[in-house]
Amino acid sequence: MSADRLIKFELSKLNVHLPERRLSLKEALSSAKPQVMSRDGSVHTFKREELEFLAGLLPEADRDKLQVPILIALEPKLGRGTARISGEAEVKVVSQVLEKELTAVELLIYRPEVAILRRKLPTTTQYLFLW
Amino acid sequence: MSYRIAVVGDQDTVTGLALAGATYAHIHTTNEETLAKLNEFFDSEEIGVLLITHRVAEELGYDFRRMVRTKRLLPLVLRIPDKTGYVPKVDELREIIRRTVGAEIMIKKEGS
Amino acid sequence: MAIALAVSPTRMELLKLKQRVGLAQKGHDLLKEKMDALVIEFFEVVRRIQEARMKAFDQLSVAHRALSMGFAVVGTLETKQASKETKRELQVEISTRHIMGIAVPAVEVGEVERNALVRGYGLHMTSSVLDEASREFERALKLLIELAELEASAFAIVRELEKTKRRVNALEYILIPRLREALKFIMMRLDEMERENFTRLKRIKAMMEKRE
Repeated sequence: MSADRLIKFELSKLNVHLPERRLSLKEALSSAKPQVMSRDGSVHTFKREELEFLAGLLPEADRDKLQVPILIALEPKLGRGTARISGEAEVKVVSQVLEKELTAVELLIYRPEVAILRRKLPTTTQYLFLW
Repeated sequence: MSYRIAVVGDQDTVTGLALAGATYAHIHTTNEETLAKLNEFFDSEEIGVLLITHRVAEELGYDFRRMVRTKRLLPLVLRIPDKTGYVPKVDELREIIRRTVGAEIMIKKEGS
Repeated sequence: MAIALAVSPTRMELLKLKQRVGLAQKGHDLLKEKMDALVIEFFEVVRRIQEARMKAFDQLSVAHRALSMGFAVVGTLETKQASKETKRELQVEISTRHIMGIAVPAVEVGEVERNALVRGYGLHMTSSVLDEASREFERALKLLIELAELEASAFAIVRELEKTKRRVNALEYILIPRLREALKFIMMRLDEMERENFTRLKRIKAMMEKRE
């Protein structure tokens, strides 16, 4: 049974780096030190240049719809190597960064695209593990 | 928190980096002496970054590698080339990559 | 094929086992995703390290050449003296930041480049050659510190990656196969027991019918 307990423990650790509450892009830009508090108590700071880059990709109205950090959702049922981006504004922005056509409110991206996204937006994206 | 820089190596390396502002310095003499100094540096709560030349690190061998493996989070340790530009053929990072991924990835030639 | 798990062949156990297999499989799949994500992060850091190494080590060469010039022009003794007199108080701010829950160091170097006055070595010994050497080394030092930060991050990611890989392997090659074996065993036994029961009931029924 302790194997089960270990597994549950590992699972509980997976998303501990995520913030309790995300910020809208607008809020983040207006703050002198844009950051969020993670569930494990650590502070995660956003790089201003990334925030400004994101702002440049959206019309003013959407800036308080976009939540940062943008979550890259990894879910086993999507298949290994596939991730999902949700949220209208998030999808708009990611589609542009990856130079893809804007389709729906949800976007599936593949490993090489995840790598590009993480390289371009290292502090404004984070992984989310779902099951 | 604020920390200082320490440098260990040959005369030129130490002189140069001291001119640049490194607070703690040790010119390599014997393995014994240098290891003792390094122990001091690793124990010190003030040193954030330790720069050491590849040559000296190699000479110190296993004892130094063990120190680095068992150290606390700080100081950060960086091996650097001396004025001859010497870097060892076996690069630790490349070994780790190979071990992790099982593939050989070329690391660009380090600055001459 | 040793069955490492001793379980009694009951329906309760069957149910519990099925849940355990489900949990182990879920854990395995998610940890594999985590491993993949860590590999992406690792390669990105390695890419930045390669760039940073080239820049830093190139600058270090340049600095050494300038220093040799300094030795030649000003003299070895004077140069060493200058290095002792110089203000050697460079400070760096080190804090932690997190990548996927892994603690990595974040290093901020203040203004490394200074001018001769601030450097503090005896003005009577000041030579522009020495200044040049100091400046080149200041640039090198800044790049080296950035490199140190990147290398530390790479090692931290690798440690986590290896830990995760070990867990994935333990699940994939040890726990899950054992659970599945035990599951097979129980299902087999339950089937057997049901067949035995069924035959027994048939016999009893036949016996009872004979009596009538």
